[in-house]
Amino acid sequence: MTTTQDRGASAAPAAGTTVLETVDVAVHYGGIKAVDGIDMKLETGRILGILGPNGSGKSTLLGAITRLVPLTRGRVLLDGEDYGRTPPSKLAHRGIARTFQTVRLLPDLPVLGNIQLGADLRLNRATRWRELVRRSVPESVTEAIERTGVGDVLDLLPGELSYGTARRVEIARALASRPRVLMLDEPTAGMNQPERLEVADLLRKLRDEGLTQLLVEHDVQMMVDTCDRLLAMNQGKHVAEGAPADVVRDPAVQEAYLGKRWNRAADQ
Amino acid sequence: MNTWWLSNQILIQSTFISLLLALSIQVPLRAGVFSFAGVGSYAIGAYTAAILTIRYQVPGIVAIGAGVLLAAVVGYLLALLVARLAGLYLGMATISFALLLGVLATNGGDLTGGATGLYGAISTVTTEHVIAVAVVVMVLLAASERGAFGRKVDAVREDPQLAVSLGVNVIGVRRMVFVVSGALGACAGGMNSLLRTTVSPETVGFHLVVTALTMIIIGGALSWAGAAIGAVIFTWLPSLLHTVGEWQLLVYGLLVAFAAVYVPNGLLGLLQTGWRRLQRRGRRIPAEGAAAGTSVTAAQDPEQELAALGGPTGEARP
Ligand SMILES: Nc1ncnc2c1ncn2[C@@H]1O[C@H](COP(=O)(O)OP(=O)(O)O)[C@@H](O)[C@H]1O
Ligand SMILES: [Mg+2]
Repeated sequence: MTTTQDRGASAAPAAGTTVLETVDVAVHYGGIKAVDGIDMKLETGRILGILGPNGSGKSTLLGAITRLVPLTRGRVLLDGEDYGRTPPSKLAHRGIARTFQTVRLLPDLPVLGNIQLGADLRLNRATRWRELVRRSVPESVTEAIERTGVGDVLDLLPGELSYGTARRVEIARALASRPRVLMLDEPTAGMNQPERLEVADLLRKLRDEGLTQLLVEHDVQMMVDTCDRLLAMNQGKHVAEGAPADVVRDPAVQEAYLGKRWNRAADQ
Repeated sequence: MNTWWLSNQILIQSTFISLLLALSIQVPLRAGVFSFAGVGSYAIGAYTAAILTIRYQVPGIVAIGAGVLLAAVVGYLLALLVARLAGLYLGMATISFALLLGVLATNGGDLTGGATGLYGAISTVTTEHVIAVAVVVMVLLAASERGAFGRKVDAVREDPQLAVSLGVNVIGVRRMVFVVSGALGACAGGMNSLLRTTVSPETVGFHLVVTALTMIIIGGALSWAGAAIGAVIFTWLPSLLHTVGEWQLLVYGLLVAFAAVYVPNGLLGLLQTGWRRLQRRGRRIPAEGAAAGTSVTAAQDPEQELAALGGPTGEARP
């Protein structure tokens, strides 16, 4: 495997400026108000966590932000500019990468190919042709493989992977595009505890390197440990927002979600 | 060799023409687009080439090229028209496009020669030309199945929404396959007209849909190589089967049914699975060479394999 240069989208603007914003975003499916008036700000170099019980609209909100789900109402802004009419495929080119709640790998493509898919949008014509002649892999792919620790399974097909590994491959695919904003929908669902801690660790490291992230996760402890800010949702609506420890202790949040366990998570 | 070549000209030609026709269906299928528009394009190419050579004495290559261009444009417009259709509905719509062209040909008056069609499309197009074109097409398609472009098309087929999130212009890819399909179908049709020097509504009829689909199902839908295998079998089997006489069609039907049920990825799929298994075996021996003893016992007892690896830490490998 040789390595070729590629251009990444990652730049390092001042931490704390708003990169992505939703204004009164709503997604209704007939009578179901999956998302109903969410205002959200994602700041550079921070991890924003979205918390909420099953069916509270987290995945739909992610879909709305990535333009895979049409908005019923509201606006989505990237760098202050409304991208509500931008074709969804353009967003990846503007540095937004995401994973989905379920494993979505191409079944007939080995792991390496699946990860390369993430980087393909940044290839120029010359590198595209070069890959046909000899097996060359962009630097961003090698790096993503290293960071997610999936180097041992590159030749396997997705169907041959354990669930936890498949999820790591998806994170690798997202990282391979060198995104400015990474959105993860329950990345550690189905993983065992050591695997979860590893992923949480990776996300924090990426954040420290300046990668902005939007994280949807059920593991409250992990959210408190990992996120800089939390947004709690219930039934499509905004419930609370702020520092993780505060949000988790918020009575409205506790009522909507789990109860006492959240206090413990915040105290640790 | 030489006598074989000369005595089998027609079969050799139709092998490659059938191949191009099959590819005009296979290319969209690879992108998850269930379109028979290639068959309609075959008619466009067949009539355009015949009309231009007979009426305007245009050189054969130019006549075929004009048909290819026209069908590519029509393919693009068709893609816009059926943009909202998918699956079975798209299949039906594109079959009716093919049938519509048959009707146009029959009722085209002097231009298309009506039900009897056109005769005397004399040109300098030869078997070698057909083979050259087919080889170039195969090389290009083989390249398109590899690398970044191949992955892109795979993603559009397997998971369009994921493809979009990875920055793939799915709509653009779908339009492109309609254009390529149109060009390939027209190329096959044009060459067929000029090699046979004649075209009629019958030669561009519904049977082409069946022919192309059969070749792809038997050979395998996901690669140009599947279409190639299908084209060879479909073209040469009848001459091998002539002993069974009128039972030929029945044998065909059974063959297709068998392939569709038991070999969903066609003969090519079978070959690929076999090849992959062989490769694995080859790779595994050196990898486990150091622990040859365990690999033998492991095959017998999964518990022991875990123990030998020092606990259930390894990836689940088949
Ligand atoms: N495509 C859809 N059609 C109809 N209802 C949907 C669709 N997608 C999601 N929903 C509904 O919207 C609500 C929010 O779902 P979701 O965003 O998946 O929640 P979460 O990710 O927080 O578990 C649920 O009630 C779900 O049933
Ligand atoms: Mg969800």
